[in-house]
Amino acid sequence: VREPSDRDLVRRARRGDRDAAALLFRRYWRDAWRAAYAITGRRALADDVAADAFERAFGALGRFDDRRPFAPWLHRIVANRALDLLRAERRLSDEELPDMPDVAPVHAAGDRSLLGAVVDLPLERRVVVVLRYGVGMTPKQIAGALDLPAGTVNSRLARALEQLRESLEVEHVE
Amino acid sequence: MSSDLEQRLEGFLHELPEAEPEVGERALATSLAALTPVARTRRSLRAVVVAFAAAFVLLAIAAGSLAAAGALQIGFFQKPPPPSQLSLPAGTNGIAAVIYGRLSVTTRTGFRLKGLPVSAAALSPHALYVAAGVGKSLVALAPSGRTAWSHPTSMRGCPKKSDCGTVAAIAWAPDGFRIAYLVRTPTRALVLHVIWGNGTHDTVIDSNAHNTRPSWRADSLALAYVGVGGRPIVYDLAHESHTVIRWKAARQVTHLAFAPDGKELAVGTEQTVLLVGRHHDFVGRVRSASLGWLGDRLVVSGQRVWPSPPPTLLYTVSRSGRATLSRSIRVGGQVVSTHGQTVAVMANGKVLVGRLDALHTVVTFRPAVCGGSNGAYTCWGALGKNDVEVG
Repeated sequence: VREPSDRDLVRRARRGDRDAAALLFRRYWRDAWRAAYAITGRRALADDVAADAFERAFGALGRFDDRRPFAPWLHRIVANRALDLLRAERRLSDEELPDMPDVAPVHAAGDRSLLGAVVDLPLERRVVVVLRYGVGMTPKQIAGALDLPAGTVNSRLARALEQLRESLEVEHVE
Repeated sequence: MSSDLEQRLEGFLHELPEAEPEVGERALATSLAALTPVARTRRSLRAVVVAFAAAFVLLAIAAGSLAAAGALQIGFFQKPPPPSQLSLPAGTNGIAAVIYGRLSVTTRTGFRLKGLPVSAAALSPHALYVAAGVGKSLVALAPSGRTAWSHPTSMRGCPKKSDCGTVAAIAWAPDGFRIAYLVRTPTRALVLHVIWGNGTHDTVIDSNAHNTRPSWRADSLALAYVGVGGRPIVYDLAHESHTVIRWKAARQVTHLAFAPDGKELAVGTEQTVLLVGRHHDFVGRVRSASLGWLGDRLVVSGQRVWPSPPPTLLYTVSRSGRATLSRSIRVGGQVVSTHGQTVAVMANGKVLVGRLDALHTVVTFRPAVCGGSNGAYTCWGALGKNDVEVG
């Protein structure tokens, strides 16, 4: 049986079909949560961000242009919500917060050194790296999602790659 | 090097851990609840209307037969829905409830308001004014029923409708000089404002608040609300400073209530009730639906976490952490207490007010015809001439 397309599911969900909405949720929940986790670095915040992003997305399905792909739209909400939360937390915090406290220790398998280097990126660069390489958005889509000029996205990506390369080379030497 | 690095980056997201399963299930439930179906096509709507009419005729015939045989008693609207908000102010001079988005207000001075469409409402101390979210504005109504003032829900006014949001929650300061209110913006963010009681000096306190009614400290100089990450935050008006409460257990906060002495803050979460203040204490494994203080006792309408799922009942919670079933009445809506003595709850279609051991009905909610531009429609409203007898 052929899997229904995102567009089919979105259209059905817009008419109130909860099964279609649930299928859409299950299709993208893992990626959305992981993107939120990669940006925020904390499970608790990732829980909030991903859940809130889906709630907002489902609440706004009626206004969503279903000729456009669903995933970039959802990840745009995830990224912006994560940025909002982190910036607000920094502003409100009465104590210094570690920027990425629990990504690296939790991550037991996989490319540990690469993850550690991503974790060390400043927030603005980390977001574009997650959206570009984690989620697979194009620089143009990222520019639209973050409301940035395309040149800014490209320069942040280039600087992030340069920082990652330097970081990995240092580790390699050590 | 760069292409090799990029290849490595492309797989890194899949190496990350996953969310806990219950987090996903909870998120799914809230997401589905946020679905707002768009209108069906005219053709499908017509089909639904025809099917509904046919079903109604068949049902009426069957019910008529049974009723004629004495086997069936027919009644509509036997169980009204709980109010989404209940407001019993200091002085217990009145009560306000919002049901199905309609406001009902009754005060001892004879002020009656019924059926006004609002998004939120709260009475001022001593029931002198009612503040309500009407359309895209915060509105204060005087005892005469006239509008005292109206304030758009955006700092820049509302040059376009899309610039302003709706009021989601309102809390009057105990001294009556300020109002804290939450605005749900068109982008669904929740913005916490504080405005003077005369409708001037509107200030944004936090642009990333959660949808929980703020709680004022008794001296009206501090305000507790839920902010980023579902954490409680105390805003000090004198110093214009925010203090985030970072106790690990105080997450996903659903309700807040400052103790009458202002030294502790009761915090309801999805799992428990906590006291934040002199010491951080767990005071009950109750999933709170609302919180209120009666002197130094905490009253919680909620569900025991275990066994689950019980009905929502009324508990008192002692400092030792015991959640004691106070009254076995099924509660809907919010608990509000005033002067440390009086409690108001919504139960079985009635608002009960009084001391905890002597609650009595002050308002009964029955269906009332509210009218409408396209013919009458039914809504719920409070009935009664001299409803409020407490004080």
